[in-house]
Amino acid sequence: MCSIAAPEIFGSDELGHATVLIEGDVPVELQAKARRAQANCPEDAIIIEE
Amino acid sequence: MTTLEENSDPVNDPTTDYNIFDPEFVRDPYPTMTEIRESGCPIAHSNRWGGSWFPTRYEDVVAIAQEHEIFTSRDIIVVPRAAAQAEGPYAGVAAPPITSDPPDHHWHRRLILPIFAPQSVAKYEQGTRDLCNKLIDGFIAKGEADAGTDYAQQIPVRVIATMLGVPTEMADEFTGWVRGVLEVGLTDPKVRLESRLKILNFFRQQLDDRRANPREDDLITDLLNSGDKYPVTDQYVLGVCNLMLVAGIDTTWSAIGSSLWHMAQHPEHRKQLRDNPELWPTAIEELLRAYSPVTMARIVDRDTEFQGCPMKAGDRILMSFPAANRDPRQFDRPDDVILDREHNRHVAFGSGIHRCAGSNLARLELRVALQVWMERIPEFSLVDPATVIWAGGQVHGPRVCRVRF
Repeated sequence: MCSIAAPEIFGSDELGHATVLIEGDVPVELQAKARRAQANCPEDAIIIEE
Repeated sequence: MTTLEENSDPVNDPTTDYNIFDPEFVRDPYPTMTEIRESGCPIAHSNRWGGSWFPTRYEDVVAIAQEHEIFTSRDIIVVPRAAAQAEGPYAGVAAPPITSDPPDHHWHRRLILPIFAPQSVAKYEQGTRDLCNKLIDGFIAKGEADAGTDYAQQIPVRVIATMLGVPTEMADEFTGWVRGVLEVGLTDPKVRLESRLKILNFFRQQLDDRRANPREDDLITDLLNSGDKYPVTDQYVLGVCNLMLVAGIDTTWSAIGSSLWHMAQHPEHRKQLRDNPELWPTAIEELLRAYSPVTMARIVDRDTEFQGCPMKAGDRILMSFPAANRDPRQFDRPDDVILDREHNRHVAFGSGIHRCAGSNLARLELRVALQVWMERIPEFSLVDPATVIWAGGQVHGPRVCRVRF
């Protein structure tokens, strides 16, 4: 789900488990997408540190 | 075994007597779900069909899905109780990993996850698109079609057959077998057992064939050869094939059918998607939320009290994902379809260790099926809402849904 909401930030490994593609802070232009991914993650597994 | 007739008395109070095969509930289950959810008893219990619990709040459904040690998956089609698995020539063949509990669950799931990763299922997109176009070619000139039988029903079965490396020409037989297990078979144990035997006999032959003639880039061959990593048995491979057929067909077919049924009645949503194609990903999630096809089940492992309900070892729980996904505590305006809904942590695919392994494939099929339909047939409507025929029980979706265009 997160890789659909924010493909620039999230990918998936060979098992289909989510991976984070970027290092460090989420760029400003992607922050809305990051929040959307967080709000839609079915496992509530995304934590955004402010 | 209780029969359809014995259980068909009218329902007075759904919190103590719901009947998931009641024709009205099969057609439109949401008012009953709301009634139960907003009563003082949001986890209903009914003695019909051998008895089961029916949690309706999002929070409770998710908690049960997460507590896999107490709420086990040793049986997942439970109303009425399944007897078929314990007897006959295929005794013990289940549907791993959906019917597996830890510790086996881990490797049962580990082996099939790579097949369903987003990058793996992407290769089926073009074939699915071609299939959808071909189906529409067959009826577009008539100006009328059954969006259920002529379209939705035809798609997932062929995608799954392609994945499994079995003949797509047998689609109608596969569909019949799966309906025998999941629909007709729920209220007719003889049909259920016969259908199960047909599926397993078929895959037994496929396994023998792959052993004699291994194929390159073939799912069944690869599963048979994964014994170097895990203790893979024929029973496991048969079970996985069984699961892919049974879980991969009725479910996605229902989601495609329900979505087309919705779109046929909502020209404003068709226009919204035409004007804003970037909404497709959220629209797909919203349709999955609003019309979640699947109700999974759990067996209680040991006596326990859950939210004040005294559950006994062996009790059966219907985890209603459709009810959870319309809980107003979790979703604003839950009964409205909002194609650009911002917050949608829906559980159409379940939650926890048994979350649907095929969700990426299901999403792809649903998106492509709807996109191709709406490209080719942008305007359409129901011929007569009263003649739509729904399937219910643990998979909910329209089977006959005539539309004109």
